[in-house]
Amino acid sequence: MVSTELLVQSIINGLLLGGIYVTVGVGFALVFGVLEIIDFAVGEYVMLGAFTGAIVAPILGGEGLFVVPIAFVVFFLVGVAVQPFIHHVTTGDRPMPLLMGLVFTFGLATFLRGSVLTIFGPNTRNVPTKALSGGIDVTGIGVFPEIRVVTAIVGVLSLVAFMYYLYRTTGGTAIRAIAEDRDIAGLMGVNINRYQSIAYGVYAGLTATGGVFIGLIYAAGPGMGLQYTAFAFFMIVLAGLGYLPGIIVSGVVLGLVQSLTSIYLGGDVVFFALFGLIYLLLLVRPEGLLGKGEVA
Amino acid sequence: MSTENEATVRDRIQAIFERDDAPFWLFAIAALVLTVLPFALDTFWTRIALGALLWVGLAQSWNMIGGYAGYLDFGHGAYFGVGAFVTGIAMTELGVSFVVGLTIAAAFCAVLAYAVGVPTLRLSGAYFAIATWAFAEAIKELALILDITGGNYGMTFPTGPESTGLPFVGAPNETFFYYLMLVLSLGTIALAYWLFERSEFGFRVKAIRDHEDAAQSLGIDATQIKRRVYVLSCVIAALFGGANAYYITFIHPNDVLAPLITDQMIIMALLGGLGTIGGPIIGGVMIFLLNRLSSLFLGSSTLYLPLIGLLIMATVLFAPSGVVGILRGEVGRDDVKRNLRELGEKFDIL
Repeated sequence: MVSTELLVQSIINGLLLGGIYVTVGVGFALVFGVLEIIDFAVGEYVMLGAFTGAIVAPILGGEGLFVVPIAFVVFFLVGVAVQPFIHHVTTGDRPMPLLMGLVFTFGLATFLRGSVLTIFGPNTRNVPTKALSGGIDVTGIGVFPEIRVVTAIVGVLSLVAFMYYLYRTTGGTAIRAIAEDRDIAGLMGVNINRYQSIAYGVYAGLTATGGVFIGLIYAAGPGMGLQYTAFAFFMIVLAGLGYLPGIIVSGVVLGLVQSLTSIYLGGDVVFFALFGLIYLLLLVRPEGLLGKGEVA
Repeated sequence: MSTENEATVRDRIQAIFERDDAPFWLFAIAALVLTVLPFALDTFWTRIALGALLWVGLAQSWNMIGGYAGYLDFGHGAYFGVGAFVTGIAMTELGVSFVVGLTIAAAFCAVLAYAVGVPTLRLSGAYFAIATWAFAEAIKELALILDITGGNYGMTFPTGPESTGLPFVGAPNETFFYYLMLVLSLGTIALAYWLFERSEFGFRVKAIRDHEDAAQSLGIDATQIKRRVYVLSCVIAALFGGANAYYITFIHPNDVLAPLITDQMIIMALLGGLGTIGGPIIGGVMIFLLNRLSSLFLGSSTLYLPLIGLLIMATVLFAPSGVVGILRGEVGRDDVKRNLRELGEKFDIL
């Protein structure tokens, strides 16, 4: 009754989706580890990336892929400019710094979403691409859109590049030192403000880049951010807060859960399944699926 | 001569505010004014006042768990929606009156909140925030796929003359809902004041917020107190949810279970001042009016979103204790300057 072909197809689709979710999740996990804030604006960076694609691509001859490096640079700079504000509200003599961080990024998300909604209206737009409009026919399994395959590859490549930066360069070492112990890193001569800004900039750039690809696959709309904020939360809970490599596993799990539930249980159950899973997981295994995260 | 008189008048006013029974008199005067208010207002402004009362009550209910106990409940809106749906299901499926339906909803939400609170209140900080958020989203998605909630079609409330369950009221109208919200809202404020500002319970709750381990070592049963505050605040949200649903007569999961409901409660409490009685009142009225009147005065129905976003960011940056903090003189011009200077230092990235 259950066709193997459909099962294999949806598993491959899930893996392809997982590749792009990793791009969104990895920066988010880093920001939690280094800056110790849960960034509510993560989905809005995805949305802004997709919107940048929809607006800039027609100017560049209708090729959405050209927007990718532009989006990374622009949102890297945006992130570098935004981070000091977040750092400021989570430090100092404020009561409940965690709440202040959460609420500040929540305000930022509201501001970004509201601005795009007010300026561009509620309609969704397409991000055009000419280069990747075909499909790849895998004999015996099915046809997969080229754009999804490329997106998954780019997702994995950006993760590798990011890991290289984090584990093989001076800047990456500084960022990991800050994640380990902010005060001691400062005493060792690490410029905390600088590397925190860079970390947040890389995160914003990476997330917006992921957003361009998500826009290429689906579409860009001002209300799309919330869903990706939810996905990012899902991924860090699944990976274990503060445990970066777990993101690969959780991104893939997210893609598979999404793909398989929508095929076998129906598209409207996907979110219920996801949130039910996060809720249960937080209660049963707050240290993450792999058991390597921090415990509440 | 006249300046001397003014000074004495000001001193007298100050003395009145510093009296121990000042909150009582303030509350009594406000209650009296609000009771006669509908006679002076037309339907439009009665509705606005009604909505403000609703949101002040909701913000106060979030403030109990978020502001006083320090637990960031990002799923509080779920109880607003569950209260609405349980009241509706009781009224349509069981055929009971509104008053009975609301009671059933409150009881149901008390049990639900206890069941959810036992495992989630073990989590702290960000984990609690994420868990409650996930819970609220799951409830919303569940309401969208269940049959009993009307799923994607929503649910309509009975509105006949007998539906209130109060023989002296008859068919519900604007004035009825105004007084319903007034009673609920003032009741919530009075309860919050008595519980958190005047009783030993309140000191225990604040001790948990400020340092849970230390509070526990002093013999405070943190687990039990957290659960009580959580259940109480959730039941209040459910009461407002049921009352509001009966007022708007048609409910849909995307409306009464929207994440925006929780968000608004948090923002209102924060802007007014967390962990204070006055905060949610001031913040609730401010944000509600900005939200409701924005299309009237700004000429755009979405422009209030970026404005609220900016307002939140500015509050967190410069006045973390909210409007109440400004009124109390905790946040002055010097604090803003100090904040700006410290912020500038963090831009040292080269």
